[in-house]
Amino acid sequence: MAELKTLVLGRKEVQDLDDRAEELPAELMTVNMGPSHPAMHGTVRIVLTVDGERVVHGDIQPGYLHRCFEKESEYATYTQIFPYTDRLNYVSPMINNVGFAMAVEKLLDIVDEIPERAEYIRVIVSEISRITDHLTCVGASAMELGAFTPFLYLLKAREWLYRLLEELCGARLTVSYIRVGGVVQDLTDDFTARWKQIRADMLPVLDEVVGMLNNNRIFRGRMEGVGAMSAEDALAYGVTGPCLRACGVDYDIRKDHPYGKYGELEFDVPVGTRGDCLDRYLVRLIEIRQSIRMVDQCLERIEDGPVMIKDPRVAMPKKSEAYNTIEAMIRHFKHIVDGIRVPPGQAYAYVEGGNGELGFFVVSDGTGRPWKCYCRSPSFINLQSVHPLIQGGLISDIVPIFGMINMIGGECDK
Amino acid sequence: MTPSKTETVTLTIDGQEVTVPAGINVIEAARHIGLEISSFCYHPGLEVVAVCRQCLVSIEGSAKLVPGCQAQVSDGMVVQTADDRSTTARRQMLEFTLLNHPVDCPICDKAGECTLQELYFDHDNQGSRVDVPKVRKPKVVDLGPYVVLDAERCILCDRCVRVCDEVAGQHQLEFRNRGDHSELGTAPGARLDNPYSLNTVDVCPVGALTSKDYRFTMRAWELFTTPSICQGCATGCNIEVHHRSDRVWRIQPRVNLEVNEYWMCDEGRFTYHDLREKRLLAPLVDGLPGRWDAALSRAAAVLKNTAPDRTGVVLSAHQTNEANYLLARLAKDRLGVTRLYVGGRKPVPGRADDILMDADVTSNREGVLAITGPGVDGPAALETALAEGQLDALLVLGHELPLSPEAMETARSIDVVVIAEHELGVARIADVALPAAAWAEVDGTVTNRQGKVGRMHAAYPPLGQSLPAWEVIARLARACDATGFEKHEHARSVFEEMVAQIEPFAGARWGRSVRPMQLRFANSRG
Repeated sequence: MAELKTLVLGRKEVQDLDDRAEELPAELMTVNMGPSHPAMHGTVRIVLTVDGERVVHGDIQPGYLHRCFEKESEYATYTQIFPYTDRLNYVSPMINNVGFAMAVEKLLDIVDEIPERAEYIRVIVSEISRITDHLTCVGASAMELGAFTPFLYLLKAREWLYRLLEELCGARLTVSYIRVGGVVQDLTDDFTARWKQIRADMLPVLDEVVGMLNNNRIFRGRMEGVGAMSAEDALAYGVTGPCLRACGVDYDIRKDHPYGKYGELEFDVPVGTRGDCLDRYLVRLIEIRQSIRMVDQCLERIEDGPVMIKDPRVAMPKKSEAYNTIEAMIRHFKHIVDGIRVPPGQAYAYVEGGNGELGFFVVSDGTGRPWKCYCRSPSFINLQSVHPLIQGGLISDIVPIFGMINMIGGECDK
Repeated sequence: MTPSKTETVTLTIDGQEVTVPAGINVIEAARHIGLEISSFCYHPGLEVVAVCRQCLVSIEGSAKLVPGCQAQVSDGMVVQTADDRSTTARRQMLEFTLLNHPVDCPICDKAGECTLQELYFDHDNQGSRVDVPKVRKPKVVDLGPYVVLDAERCILCDRCVRVCDEVAGQHQLEFRNRGDHSELGTAPGARLDNPYSLNTVDVCPVGALTSKDYRFTMRAWELFTTPSICQGCATGCNIEVHHRSDRVWRIQPRVNLEVNEYWMCDEGRFTYHDLREKRLLAPLVDGLPGRWDAALSRAAAVLKNTAPDRTGVVLSAHQTNEANYLLARLAKDRLGVTRLYVGGRKPVPGRADDILMDADVTSNREGVLAITGPGVDGPAALETALAEGQLDALLVLGHELPLSPEAMETARSIDVVVIAEHELGVARIADVALPAAAWAEVDGTVTNRQGKVGRMHAAYPPLGQSLPAWEVIARLARACDATGFEKHEHARSVFEEMVAQIEPFAGARWGRSVRPMQLRFANSRG
């Protein structure tokens, strides 16, 4: 064990230390952090082997949430899966909805037939979701480091956005707003005006938070140089999203593999230089502003039109028709009970989620429910890079590292 | 010249060449290549009438579209089902069929298993163009003891009329009026009361005919289906048990061309009602519920303390081959009992017809006789033995043992151990009653009157503390210190041993195990 200590910590042997340190107990200790811990995002357990405050080894064990998203999906129709996707990364549910819808649309071969307006709406709600995701991540992490005020400020701003989404689809979080073939209903009449108001209120909040945190000595002390990862390591671990960009890798699916309307929008992809927690925080801050930019552009360009594809195989009939004509009633019934009949095949669709590449691999056997639905959840894949990051650090470093990796339980334990 | 069965013809359907037996129609030929041609009135078990016009296809050389059910295949025939003409025809026929169809899906019992819903969604899927009121017809017409008609939903496919004519052999249903006023009804002076009337409900492609027994009880797509064998009589019709929440909601026939074809009798459909009646849910010792081990050791004490020649063992013609085999083995080989009897309900001669129903109302008499060998005694011999005081103990499988009241009284004075599902009949006078799982809860086999071994699958777990009868017997054998019963952990191992030991079962196979499947997905995934 002594060798391991030296190897891992690169620190001196006990006898080399001064007198007082020698008196301290030098045995390694095993401590459980989690599965339920106030400074943890979601239920995850870390079995820590510590030497005093130093982490010698950290065994990260996810899986406490028992979501069974993938297996449940095999017993639900394609439309019934949307509520399950809401609960993947539950701070940015719209993006999950979009990702899953895109996989099914690819199988149905209707990618090019999605109405223009629906595509714009998808970008708008996705970017608003990304903002809420980043606000939560930054706010919660600041709070865990002792800065409670920015947390309240950012969650106040997030609440404005949630309220906007709630007006749109009836729920803050369990949105289920996107459908295969479009979105469930059009934007509210005053959506643009409400967005402009919220935008105007939110920008000062962001400035205030920047003022409070960026040059805050405690905050910087705990973020700067902590949990640094090289670009090679990040790529080797399959890390994506803000954590990868913080390492200096310029990879954003919206830019590199544009989907929906992203190819037509103007936005910048921020990258970091050192790949530490501070870079991850700064990347997220800039991404919030870029998302605001994208929403502005979309609202400028969006035109009136349908928000749902016409194809009766995919689109549910209107309620007024379903209640009054047998044709629409049967169609409605078949959609609900049997589900959208998707031709046999397999498709992988991926979007830039709040934490990285969110992909859905769907295998269809021609029935109304998937034969297999795999989810490439960024939280799960990013989580595997945490173990080397916390090793050798202090216990207190786990908190900012974990906060900035932003593991979301619902998405990790898919 | 009628083509013989071995003759084949080769034709092309949608560009795909297929060789099929001569004499079949285009719909059946298309099924050989996995293509389902839409149809309402065609049923493989009924005469072809070609009234629904839903199966219209183009056949090369024929100026008009031809109904696929009526067109017999011939060599070199070229059939198109996906060309514009037949696609349009299908679509137009569906629009026409839906013209007067009421908006009933939410309250219709057929919803979810409705041919009209399926075909509309697959082949038409267009909105309504009707702006005139629909023709109204009676919604609740009492056709007979078991069937109700909703005339508005009827699409006049004529299947039910043919079922009555051809399966039951009684002309009870007819159409009256013409055009969109056509309406199904009973023939003058008749009611739909033949013993096969509920088959009309099965074949009805829409929710026009509904079963009084099932309607408004459960939505079809919520049910789970498990294949089994009807226990109503010796015919052994192949059935699907439709169940949910540990109870059966209805029984439907399963296709077996060698036994029951596509049909079953009304009486058989109601056999599920008995499943929950007076169930024995815990072991009873002297009429009081107790623990399994206490009941088993008491039963074993009875068997061990009685001389084998004064012990009677009653097999059951209502129980599976596996249970009877194990009991016969325990009695003959381990306990040395020579007095074997076979119990079971008395035959009902008036019930027999030459269609499906049999006078013998036991499901497994053939199987029991195969296990015991012919010439085994029935309840009458048991009554005599009881009256003459030849027995001190009785081990009975099943509660169905028709004994005279005097014999019952005599039986009270001796030690009686009963393995039964229900607290009825002989189970009520038992000193020890061991609860067995009912037929819908067990895996096993029964042998029908033709000597065919049919496989039953467990639809849901045994109720209460009951166990499959074979397992109760295996436990009882262990309690009696009999060896050779430990290895059986599943009905399958009992079956395999039985097949190896008993000559008439030679060659029988256990088959694939089937788990209950939700009806909603039953047709979509194998």
